Amino acid sequence: METFINPKSLFHLLLLPCLLLYSSIAYNSSPVEAAMHTNNWAVLVCTSRFWFNYRHMANTLSLYRTVKRLGIPDERIILMLADDMACNTRNKYPAQVFNNENHRLNLYGDNVEVDYRGYEVTVENFLRVLTGRHETAVPRSKRLLSDEGSHILLYMTGHGGDEFLKFQDSEELQSHDLADAVKQMKEKHRFKELLIMVDTCQAATLFNQLQSPGVLAIGSSMKGENSYSHHLDSDVGVSVVDRFTYYTLAFFERLNIYDNASLSSLFSSYNPSLLMSTAYYRKDLYKRRLEEVPVTNFFGSVMETIHTDAAYKALSRRNSGRFEDEMSLDQSVHHIKRRMLIKVNDGDEIHDINPELLQGEEGASKCPWSTFRKKFQKAENVDSLLNYGLVAMIPLLVISTWLVQ
Amino acid sequence: MEKVKKKIGSFSFWNWVTASIIFRLILIYFPKNLNLSSRPEVSTPLTSFRRLAEGYWLKQSFMSPYAGSMYHGSPLLLSLLGPLTINSLVSVIADVVSAMLIRATGQNLRLAYLRSLESLDLVKQIEVSEFLFSGDIAALIYLCNPFTIVACVGLSTSPIENMAVILCLYGACSRLIPLAAFGWVIATHLSLYPAILIIPVIFLLGCGPDSPPRKLFLQRHQQKEVLNQSKLPPRFSWGPVIHFAFWAFLWSVYVLVLCGISLKQFGGLWEMFKSTYGFILTVEDLSPNIGVLWYFFAEVFEFFRNFFLIVFHVNILFMILPLAIRLRHRPCYLAFVYVAICSMLKSYPSVGDSALYLGLLGWFVNELADMQFSLFLFCGYVGVSLLSPVMHNLWIWRGTGNANFYFATAMVYACLQIVLVVEGVSAMLNHDRKLRNLITGKPQDAKS
Repeated sequence: METFINPKSLFHLLLLPCLLLYSSIAYNSSPVEAAMHTNNWAVLVCTSRFWFNYRHMANTLSLYRTVKRLGIPDERIILMLADDMACNTRNKYPAQVFNNENHRLNLYGDNVEVDYRGYEVTVENFLRVLTGRHETAVPRSKRLLSDEGSHILLYMTGHGGDEFLKFQDSEELQSHDLADAVKQMKEKHRFKELLIMVDTCQAATLFNQLQSPGVLAIGSSMKGENSYSHHLDSDVGVSVVDRFTYYTLAFFERLNIYDNASLSSLFSSYNPSLLMSTAYYRKDLYKRRLEEVPVTNFFGSVMETIHTDAAYKALSRRNSGRFEDEMSLDQSVHHIKRRMLIKVNDGDEIHDINPELLQGEEGASKCPWSTFRKKFQKAENVDSLLNYGLVAMIPLLVISTWLVQ
Repeated sequence: MEKVKKKIGSFSFWNWVTASIIFRLILIYFPKNLNLSSRPEVSTPLTSFRRLAEGYWLKQSFMSPYAGSMYHGSPLLLSLLGPLTINSLVSVIADVVSAMLIRATGQNLRLAYLRSLESLDLVKQIEVSEFLFSGDIAALIYLCNPFTIVACVGLSTSPIENMAVILCLYGACSRLIPLAAFGWVIATHLSLYPAILIIPVIFLLGCGPDSPPRKLFLQRHQQKEVLNQSKLPPRFSWGPVIHFAFWAFLWSVYVLVLCGISLKQFGGLWEMFKSTYGFILTVEDLSPNIGVLWYFFAEVFEFFRNFFLIVFHVNILFMILPLAIRLRHRPCYLAFVYVAICSMLKSYPSVGDSALYLGLLGWFVNELADMQFSLFLFCGYVGVSLLSPVMHNLWIWRGTGNANFYFATAMVYACLQIVLVVEGVSAMLNHDRKLRNLITGKPQDAKS
């Protein structure tokens, strides 16, 4: 278009807002870098309806079970199931959902909490969950209440295609819708890191449009490839699990919450010949190296434990709350520095007491009561004094009775 | 003949004591869990050992033991019973000590009764040889009472509270004033209600143990026209009472200082009074028990709550004075009546409280031999103690009953206790009347 009035003035006009935008983005991004990983969330979506899509339900429930087993509680899981296979009239095993023909695991046990079920699983609700823009009456259990320290696992399964995912056989979620939702989440600091895992046909195309930093995505197949089911259960009558999810579960069933297998080992465990498709992952938006990230950062909830060298004493207990607050804010601080922190605080404490004791000793001749009271303040002394007092009651009683007689 | 009888009596007494201890130990170490400590009849918010364990844990974690409104007892009990894992053995020991003290006091009372009968010259007219050993009987009633056994095995602190009350009465009867003061202070400290036992204790220390009214002695000696001062019961003397007040003051200061030390960081004594006495007086916890307050206070409107609290507590207080006037010559019996009234009308009664007054009833088997409705009361107690858990089960666990079923048994229980108290007092007064008639020579009352 050749409608430039004055290129230089226009350039200057555009420069200022750009600078402002850039500075605001810079301001916005810097606190996120400093945010610490505090909690894990999981959003597990099954988008297919109808009995013959049993395997998508089984996929989602298997991942739900894995994620719960590795530590994420129900309050931090949003489970969206588009249809009910467990109580379907065609289900030969009522209230039971299996992901293997050996029927070893019943995925639909006593403690499955489904947040969105049936016709509630729509593209609109899915995007509302991601962006957090709900109507006022939506209960807390249906909201994704993550903050800037959250790691979110987003798992989607169903039927998909080139840059879309089919919901409920009637609508579709497009890749730029997903990218837009993720961008909104990033702007509102709703996650620190996001792992998107998609198990559909041509899954990798769904995250083609993603641009937000801190997002890692893996899909079960590339453009032009289909994702296949693993095996057919002749008893239930349908295929019960997809290949990609089957091999993901095979990886996780070997783990418990104490293992620290890395994401790179997960991603490299997918064998294209077994999957009959290429599992493609996108790590250009993700800054950390995959070898350093444990899988429990997304698939479980294993928090970093803080090791202290100093033993907890009765005295330092009163200040231990302060210790923990300081240390939790400083988790990225190196271990040594942490130890120094503790020792310094201990030293402070000792410094606090010493002058009092010195004072007490100096004034001993003047006021023995004050030193007595200082000793009182120590917890152990109080307990022992109380015990002596209680035990002394009996001999006092006996002596007084005998005397008076 | 009496010596042989005594020997036989004492032999089987110790047999019974051993048998009851063994029975308690069997129940404590029973392999299957008897769940007695979760029954509302046994453990109330004041006596439950689970709450004591929670209070102890809170104290060990450097928080106030009254945080969270679970524990409402004395901080001294926390230090005493908290570390012990086998609380039941402490209860067994407390029961045995209480039984021994009851026996000693009973013997004391019986000797005083015999002495007063001698000084009234009624020894031939009343069959003294038929007198039962009230001390032994009272001790055995206390030990072998199913209520006591259940309270002991069911991990409640009521055996210790009962021991304190009995210690107080024993000290007052035997004129061991520091002991009596100690028992009274500890009993009041552990649960508020034994405070009214100060009146019988004052009478015991001033006049001596139970005896017929002073009037009778004067009448007897007027008849004989001999005024032998030594045979008259002593007049009321204030010396021991002041002595008692002094010792009570000392012991209460000691106990309060110990409590203050243990609760120094957690609000001090005011917090303790609010959580223990305040809790008892304001009836905050309305979980069902065998008393009558919970049902009422579950329905009362907030506006009238204070008024009805005052009404229920004054219900105990206004009976103190008339009974004291009428029964001042029999302070131990007065103590029994006070204990019975308290355990009926207190905020959180349990079977341990009933065990106490049923044991004390045994002291007066000789005087109350002609009590009416004794069989009715016995059957009533048995019936209520069987039906009340059934109604509780129907209400809470099966859902086929409702609160009214359970409260009906609680009301019947209260009625039985009222009948026991009324009939007991009238039987005692009839006994005095009988003595008076024997002295003045009138024919005996036809009323039995």
